[in-house]
Amino acid sequence: MSARSILTIAWHEYLVNLRRPGFIFFTLLIPALGLLGLIVAGFFSGQAMGFLENQFERASQQTGLVDQSGLFTPLPAGFGGQYQLFPDEAAARQALLDGSLSGYVVIEPDYLETGDVTAYSIGGLFDAVNAADSDTLRLLLVHGLLAGQVDAAVLERAADPVNVTPVTLNEDGQPTGSTDIGSAIASFIIPYVLSIFLIISIFTASSYLLRSVSEEKETRVIEVVLSSVSATELLTGKVLGLGALGLTQVLVWLGSAVLLSGGLAAVAAGVAVALSPRVFALSALYFILGYLLYGTLMAAAGALGTSMRESQQLAGLFSFGAAVPMMFNSLIFASPNGTIARALSYFPLTAPTTMMLRLPLTNVSTLDLAISLGLLALSIPVVLWAGAKVFRMGLLLYGKRPSLVQIVKALRQA
Amino acid sequence: MNEPSLYVEDLRKSYATVVAVDGLTFQVERGEIFGLLGPNGAGKTTTIRILMDIFKPDAGTVRVLGQPPGAARQRVGYLPEERGLYRALRVSECLTYLGQLKGMARAAAQRRAEELLERVELADWGKRKVEELSRGMQQKAQLAASLIHDPDLIILDEPFQGLDPVNAEMIRGIIRDLRAQGKTIVLSAHEMSLVEMLCERIVLINHGRAVLNGRLADLKKQFSPNAIEISPPLPVEGWPGVASVALEDGRQRVTLTPGAEPRDLLREIFNRGLSLDRFERATATLDEIFVTVVRGEAGHERP
Repeated sequence: MSARSILTIAWHEYLVNLRRPGFIFFTLLIPALGLLGLIVAGFFSGQAMGFLENQFERASQQTGLVDQSGLFTPLPAGFGGQYQLFPDEAAARQALLDGSLSGYVVIEPDYLETGDVTAYSIGGLFDAVNAADSDTLRLLLVHGLLAGQVDAAVLERAADPVNVTPVTLNEDGQPTGSTDIGSAIASFIIPYVLSIFLIISIFTASSYLLRSVSEEKETRVIEVVLSSVSATELLTGKVLGLGALGLTQVLVWLGSAVLLSGGLAAVAAGVAVALSPRVFALSALYFILGYLLYGTLMAAAGALGTSMRESQQLAGLFSFGAAVPMMFNSLIFASPNGTIARALSYFPLTAPTTMMLRLPLTNVSTLDLAISLGLLALSIPVVLWAGAKVFRMGLLLYGKRPSLVQIVKALRQA
Repeated sequence: MNEPSLYVEDLRKSYATVVAVDGLTFQVERGEIFGLLGPNGAGKTTTIRILMDIFKPDAGTVRVLGQPPGAARQRVGYLPEERGLYRALRVSECLTYLGQLKGMARAAAQRRAEELLERVELADWGKRKVEELSRGMQQKAQLAASLIHDPDLIILDEPFQGLDPVNAEMIRGIIRDLRAQGKTIVLSAHEMSLVEMLCERIVLINHGRAVLNGRLADLKKQFSPNAIEISPPLPVEGWPGVASVALEDGRQRVTLTPGAEPRDLLREIFNRGLSLDRFERATATLDEIFVTVVRGEAGHERP
């Protein structure tokens, strides 16, 4: 194995694919979308202000209240400005139609048992919800139910019972990170977005790997290449060159994110890195391992297929494995330490993507990491070894897809 | 040091159910143009791939430039039968890369690429993409690619495929130049007339074994009938020493009886005052030898 050959191949693959219009377009697309998003947000914030003002105007109209339960007549103190009590529904309806109310709420006769309340409006669902105005209504109802029956302080607390401060503990029982909501979000959003970038770039690089192998086979240039370098040198060179390409892509995205946010993202990232170097290091590790795994499988698919299209179909099987965690995205998001998330973390084909999603969300247990990395570490050499053999065998079988028997035989040959 | 450029002894290779190479033995001397011939499916391509270390043999000894296959990769040039170039790359870029894969430095490879493109009359096409070249041009570019690293041994598998007579002549010239530079060339082709013009020694492979091996001149003598070609056709039937007369492609072939001398026939023609344009000893063409041997082998095909 000659390092020189491998580096020549790697550098060539890197440059040739870097120049491809498709790559340039896709890499610049993300920052372009980001830029577009900023512009649109800026434009709309002007609009948004107008819209919100509109809402406030609406809210300056009163909401009617029809109390059929009898618990809220007269209105609890302090709500007279926003709510107006009506003796019956007909009167309230009339006032709504006259335009003096934005909507009205009927408290059903069995409210105490059922909590049933009906909200009426003219404008549509949004207006009806608005009319219900649940926060203020909730306050009114609590006040109405408890006034005079409990201490004033208890009443206030019942009306606004909770004010949450989230604190995460690490394995030693020490609080990690600041308890400020803002940086808590930063320390999860940044790594999460980074994970998505890494996942996308694994697949971009792997698909280039497939295409590169398939093309050399289709154009028949592969035979001359194999008379100059060994199949293993070729595979290694391609994997390295295209891995570097994937990294370049991620760096462009990160760089543009920093630029677009006016450096804000860098600060937040800096904070995030300071908070969890572990997450970043592990994400980087999974990126490398994930790329090695998928890259080799894609290269083998490229070598086995008799045409680019067929290779892509073969590769589709492996891509599916990687896509599965994305399909379970919301589940992983909701319970990152749940059974499904953990199972997906162990199975080598889904492990890299799953872990890259889990790591920013939660403290993944050392056990999970050990099993996940362990299985990956076992599977990668196997995949590399088998992939290289299949690669070597498949490359020269023009027009014939090797049967499973032939593949197994090739694997047995030293 | 006169060791052969190529040494193959008792080479064997099978795939699944097919025996591709079945005890093949031959060698190629330094500085000669050697013909590697055989019908389709004879095992030539497999043998060549083994020489290039693309396939591994099941058994046998192979020495390329005195070393095991693959060890002297950078000194061997290869033009495969199933060949192609990177379609989307520029021609000179493609050749440069292939040169780099053979261990050349980039600048040196670039220079050589330009020289070779000049030699095959593609200098104006260096900056174009490979896919823009016609088939014949691509063939010439591929030949250039096989020579870019100035190899000592060059293996050409069907180099004349798809070339018009002018380009075929150019390739012949290049092959002769290479020989003049002291390089060894192994040529595998189906155009027997071209092989005859170029090769000094040949091996004819059939069913994975060597069925003919040696100097072309000797083989031709071996297969040549004791016959003369005469034109214009003359009425020589029944003359002393004449065994049979046949007309082939407008030429008269007079087969002599064993022991009869051509000059006796010539003397007889002059004595009778007949005019003569051409009187030539008939030698078997390589084409005829090929067909004779392969057809003969067909009778002994292995089950």
